[in-house]
Amino acid sequence: MAERENLNRIISGCRNGDAESFSQLIDMYAGRCYGYFYRVTGNRTVSDDLLGELFVKLVEKIGSFKGGSFESWLFKVVSNIFHDYLRAKHRQSQFLETQKSRMQSQVSEPERCDGDEIDKLQLQLNKLDADTREVIMLRYYSQASFREIAQMRSELIGTTLSKVHRGLNKLRELMEG
Amino acid sequence: MAMENQANENIEKLFGEFLSEEESLRAAENVQKGERILREHPAPAPAGELLADINSKVVKALAAKGAKTRRLIACRVAAVAAVVIILIAISAKFFGKGPAVQTPVTLEPMQRAVWESDGISSGQTELALLRDEVEQAEAKVSDLKFGRDGGYGGKEFVEIEMELTDISGDFWKG
Repeated sequence: MAERENLNRIISGCRNGDAESFSQLIDMYAGRCYGYFYRVTGNRTVSDDLLGELFVKLVEKIGSFKGGSFESWLFKVVSNIFHDYLRAKHRQSQFLETQKSRMQSQVSEPERCDGDEIDKLQLQLNKLDADTREVIMLRYYSQASFREIAQMRSELIGTTLSKVHRGLNKLRELMEG
Repeated sequence: MAMENQANENIEKLFGEFLSEEESLRAAENVQKGERILREHPAPAPAGELLADINSKVVKALAAKGAKTRRLIACRVAAVAAVVIILIAISAKFFGKGPAVQTPVTLEPMQRAVWESDGISSGQTELALLRDEVEQAEAKVSDLKFGRDGGYGGKEFVEIEMELTDISGDFWKG
């Protein structure tokens, strides 16, 4: 309850343009948002850029938060930023056919994480289709319920349940195999 | 009613809307096992430098937003003021009561400043030049009239006089 009140106070400060409140918001959510960006893109540099873009965009967008679950609202913005990134990359690849293979490798090639250890999870996640990977990450990092995720993605809850269930099963098989 | 979130949602019940009891129990277990794998393999955290950079970008964005808001408010105030002035002007023209007050027209003496302007010396110079040109023109006319322009002016003057006499004679003859 106190946590909720604290979040409301921070959001209110952000709405009033208070830099300190934004700093607290960054401290609270940067880790989870970064985790989402990293798991869906598989690239730290891109994740760095998208995280910066997110919080700068929040300066403009925070006024449009009308209450309810802040995390659902935040991860809707996060997901939109990721989709904008994909669209921009797609447009770029149409103009620069020669760079197409390089950009695909940017998304599919796993990076090293925690020193020299190869991120095995990222390697297996990249074997899932992009939409399944995204919905699994949206659920994991937003900590939203299936109903909230279905609303965020404007799809039926049965579709969301099915995608997450099949995706996680497949991921488990890949990780154990 | 408390808002449903991940912590208090009943996954088994959700799957139960689409699957049999046994299948929904297994599906819920599969989801929990899958999510445990995600917890066991955390993604990298953002670097401290990145967070500091984002904080400074946010401060800049807030300053830019403040300036933009102030400009927007100023524009709106100006627009409202313009509309109010136009409305006052229109209402005064069409809905004003009683005859307009006639203000008497009076002749006011020319301001001293006109005569005491700094440009008077340059005006005098121009006036002197003009006067000089007029005098030169008058002298030329006088020379022509009295044949003082190299001996040809007198002849020309006499010829013109003769022509004028012929013209007036022809006129009276019809």
